[in-house]
Amino acid sequence: MKLNQRPITILIAALGGEGGGVLADWIITAATAEGYPVQSTSIPGVAQRTGATTYYIELYPLRAAELQGRRPVMPLAPSPADIDVMLASELLEAGRALLNGYVTPARTTLIASTHRIYTVDEKIALGDGRYDSERILAAAQALAKRAILTDFHKLAANTGAMINAALFGALAGSGTLPLPRAACEDAIRSAGKGAETSLRGFALGYAAAAGEPPEVATAPAQDSETLAPSTRPLAPSLQQRLRQSFPAQVQEMLERGAARVADFQDENYAALYLDRLAPIAKLEQAQAATEEYELTRETARFLALWMSYEDVIRVADLKSRRSRFERVRTEVQAKPGEPVRIIEYLKPGVEEMAALLPPGLSRRLVAWTEKRGLTHKLNVGLHVNSSSITGFSMLRLLAALRPLRRRSARYAEEQALIERWLAAIAAAAATSADSELALEIALCGRLIKGYGDTNRRAKANFLRIFDTLVESGKLSDTKQRAQAVRAARLGALADPEGRGLEATLATHGIAPLPQRPEIVQFMRRTGAQKKAA
Amino acid sequence: MERQFNAEIESLKLGAGETFHGEGILAVTKALLQSGVSYVGGYQGAPVSHLLDVMVQARDYMDELGVHVEACTNEASAAAMLGASINYPARGAVTWKSIVGTNVASDALTHVASAGVLGGALIVVGEDYGEGASVAQERTHAVALKSSMWMLDPRPNLATIVNLVERGFELSEASNTPVFMDLRIRACHVHGSFVAGPNRAPAVSTRKLLAEAAVFDYEHIPHPPATYRQEKLKMGVRLPAARKFIREHKLNEQFAGTEHGVGIVCQGGLYNNLLRALKLVGLADDFGASRIPILALNVVYPLVPEEINEFCSGKAAVLVVEEGQPEFIEQDIATTLRRADIQTKLHGKDLLLMAGEYTAEVIVHGLARFLAAHAAHLDISAGARWGEAADAARTRAAELLGAPLPPRPPNFCVGCPERPVFAAIKLVERDIGKRHISADIGCHSFATFAPFSLGNSILGYGMSLASSAGVAPMLAGRSLAIMGDGGFWHNGFLSGVASNQLNGGDKVLLIMKNGYTSATGTQDLVSSPGGSEELAQELSPVRAEHTIENTLRGAGVKWLRNVYTYRVADMAKTLREAFTTDDAGLKVIIAEGECQLERQRRIRPVLARLLKSGERVVRTRFGVDDATCSGDHSCIRLSGCPSLTLAPSSDPLKVDPVAHVNHSCVGCGLCGEVAHAAILCPSFYRAEVVQNPGVWDRVLARLRAGFIGWLQPA
Repeated sequence: MKLNQRPITILIAALGGEGGGVLADWIITAATAEGYPVQSTSIPGVAQRTGATTYYIELYPLRAAELQGRRPVMPLAPSPADIDVMLASELLEAGRALLNGYVTPARTTLIASTHRIYTVDEKIALGDGRYDSERILAAAQALAKRAILTDFHKLAANTGAMINAALFGALAGSGTLPLPRAACEDAIRSAGKGAETSLRGFALGYAAAAGEPPEVATAPAQDSETLAPSTRPLAPSLQQRLRQSFPAQVQEMLERGAARVADFQDENYAALYLDRLAPIAKLEQAQAATEEYELTRETARFLALWMSYEDVIRVADLKSRRSRFERVRTEVQAKPGEPVRIIEYLKPGVEEMAALLPPGLSRRLVAWTEKRGLTHKLNVGLHVNSSSITGFSMLRLLAALRPLRRRSARYAEEQALIERWLAAIAAAAATSADSELALEIALCGRLIKGYGDTNRRAKANFLRIFDTLVESGKLSDTKQRAQAVRAARLGALADPEGRGLEATLATHGIAPLPQRPEIVQFMRRTGAQKKAA
Repeated sequence: MERQFNAEIESLKLGAGETFHGEGILAVTKALLQSGVSYVGGYQGAPVSHLLDVMVQARDYMDELGVHVEACTNEASAAAMLGASINYPARGAVTWKSIVGTNVASDALTHVASAGVLGGALIVVGEDYGEGASVAQERTHAVALKSSMWMLDPRPNLATIVNLVERGFELSEASNTPVFMDLRIRACHVHGSFVAGPNRAPAVSTRKLLAEAAVFDYEHIPHPPATYRQEKLKMGVRLPAARKFIREHKLNEQFAGTEHGVGIVCQGGLYNNLLRALKLVGLADDFGASRIPILALNVVYPLVPEEINEFCSGKAAVLVVEEGQPEFIEQDIATTLRRADIQTKLHGKDLLLMAGEYTAEVIVHGLARFLAAHAAHLDISAGARWGEAADAARTRAAELLGAPLPPRPPNFCVGCPERPVFAAIKLVERDIGKRHISADIGCHSFATFAPFSLGNSILGYGMSLASSAGVAPMLAGRSLAIMGDGGFWHNGFLSGVASNQLNGGDKVLLIMKNGYTSATGTQDLVSSPGGSEELAQELSPVRAEHTIENTLRGAGVKWLRNVYTYRVADMAKTLREAFTTDDAGLKVIIAEGECQLERQRRIRPVLARLLKSGERVVRTRFGVDDATCSGDHSCIRLSGCPSLTLAPSSDPLKVDPVAHVNHSCVGCGLCGEVAHAAILCPSFYRAEVVQNPGVWDRVLARLRAGFIGWLQPA
């Protein structure tokens, strides 16, 4: 018997429904066919419903003849620092394996897919709650003896196979098991159903691990790819102005912003966009504290988004464009010749109506409905078939209201708030030597987004920060104030109820806003209770 | 049923000398047939679901053998099946998830244990303890002790498990006592092999009927005065008989070592992990050769005092490796040694963790402390080096990652009909404030996780309504109890509805009528729809099934509403009405929507067939307009569907990722409904792709394309 022989330990981290159990079965079948003792265990349970789970396999690399009747005793659970091959079907799960000590430089070949399937916690963040993939990739490279990191999900999807086939291919191709390629392929064939598709996925995985494409990961792939929306190029006159009067470092951002704003309204509006940014760029240029022009760039970013706020006109316009129809066809994987009906879920109400009216009329309408408690009750749920002649015409008709927008109540409201924001940025940039406070105020523009209630909540948070920290005399030290604004902004993004924001404000002695009163509805007493009373 | 067991059914038919390859719990199933079992019953639940599922699917073969199989409505009805073995020489086995299933079964178990059995009775319990468990953490061992039922805990390899099943029936018959076969989660799912024996046709079976019922014998009835005698029999006759059988048939295994001064007593089920731990510290090889002598208890109750005394005598110290708390085995051994006045030092929970799973790593830490004290001459530095490597890997990973990883608990499947109900509850709570919510066991308990985070308590399977009986009268606002149709039939109707009707409770009960016990693998219920494959694809067949409604009406429920779950606004309206109506009785909302897993399993082949034969099929998918999504994710906070995820915005100006519907979408429509009901945003669209379009589809499409193309901007 060979000395220092030990079982080969394989741990598979997968998500419920990804075929991790099938992968384990393939390994068992191939190893059994080759005459190696093998054992697998798992903890499927309720984790099969999209949760994280693991499969553990031990394979003894000696055949029956060499074992002379002895049977290896294999444990049912993996041990840290004792795993030869760590397979992860998703990047965050690879990270979990790292944290649990299953990947060590002395022993472990890590085969992980670099794609992300976001957890609920990451998805429900108000801003960007995604875990930093780069950190996991860096840790994987640092901790594994050998790291095979590729987007196996995409590899498999290209062949119509599930990710388990590509991972099995990578395992076979990594040379970590004493299983020849043919044995692995036979294992897939013996499982029957869908074998041909799986074999195609297997082949790509095998090639990936055998080093044909580079083993180092590039930028982690996303859940799916999206297509860029079309925006008309910026008019030459504005382009020229942009090149002449703004530093080169920010021209790209400004061009995008101006094009977006022009697309939203017209070229005059885009000119206004540049007018608004000019003083800020000038202030930053004067200070020349940084070559990055971060303040101008970030102000330009959020100003463009804010100036192209989503009202009914904008939404109708975006939804009825050709590029959008094409995008939908791609998204839903419609084949050529298959008609696609697109049905929009719209629910306009008093608010949307009032937003389009001139300010005076709008105020009266809102006041009238609020008095009667109807503001949120008159929304009409519409299922608009934008691919039909009537539905499409309706959307284009709404989009055609664009010239009236400048006279609308919403326009006036947004411009006033924008001016207030810009004034605060300019004031901060003018008074303090470094632009940190100005930048933090500019970044508050990120809070402004959404529709209806969401938009109202966002603006309330924005104003709360302005009232308490930006425009009040509190915290005279600009450094401190910048930090306070930053903390408040992050707090506002922590939860939709505003608890995070109030908590950060409270640290500066700002009394919290009264909580929205909890509505308690009392029931009528029942007959029996009345009798008892 | 979620899974098909065609290959597994074939392996149940293997004959003598053939090699069985497969899962632990299916090896048990095969062993039952080799033991000539007459009847099998149980209630599904991880990790033992497959035992029953495979037998239900193998009905034809079971009929051929004469084995009666019953998918019971709860563990109590399964346990009561063992009554057959009290009077007749029929072997029977029942199975469920433990501890919870054992708790439900306890009443019947107490009675069968008191009466004693003539035919062998085996209770196969899946010990849902440690990683992957989904229930409160307790030991089934306690139930065996208090009911004087024996408990097997075999070494987790298929040959030993199968042997112990066969010996278990003999032990049961030799001592007239029902026997637990305790299998941990990973032992149920361990994949290995064993050499099969022939299946035995049962002595008494559906094919070999007994001509007459048993002769009346009061001694078989657990009713006074027989109970007093039975209580004495347990310890006076059955226990010695069991010990004799265990000793004579060497059910417990001793593995001699070279270090005779010390020893380890372990539960059989932990033997493999113990061996790995010994190997990691450098005291064992891969083939079970350990320098430390081991007594592996394949029978953990009763212990045989002679075996314990023989093993411990002459040793300076013994370590008991026993998972879970309290340390029943260690206490038992202590009593035995003390009575025999054996001075061997006894260790166990003083050196090992009191609670939690005993992985090799946990055992290594205990071993190191034990050996340092009692066998200091042994070199166990390999264990220390390994431990340091493991700690270093974890520390380094934590440093490199910098931030804790978000958890990934199980969640509702794509298109699950239960998710919309919780979206509606969240919306209603915005209007009328928080309500006390009694949650239950089932897929719907996933609502306790983000993004819903709903539910104040869980008291057991089907217990939600019963658990609000005390709290509801103390609250100004009406409370809500949620249970599934699985929970309703398991326990909920009797414990909850009937009790409420008796006491005139003013509560709201919401029943998820998805048609199956979905969390355990979509097994059938009495109210499962008898759907044909040809049912129209849009229809949810659970609508046509009214057993639950009729039962509720029969119990006097007046306020009863059926709502299609995907209509979020209707659900919210109905909930609001239930919370605020003047009606003072029980208000029941039945949330109808077939389990999406079952639905997909049913319609996929139908659609594939239609598509192949060129028939017109409309495929529905939902989507989010990247350009209008502002990246606030309100929609995700009200849904949490795995297919509703994030994607980087294609607009480089936007820094936050946008919502995105990926290709796993089944078109259930929840996102659109939520966007409507909550007045969220106009970004959602429904796309209907007409596959194999007809002439009219093509003409209409061309007409529309012509008109739209003429007016459409880029």
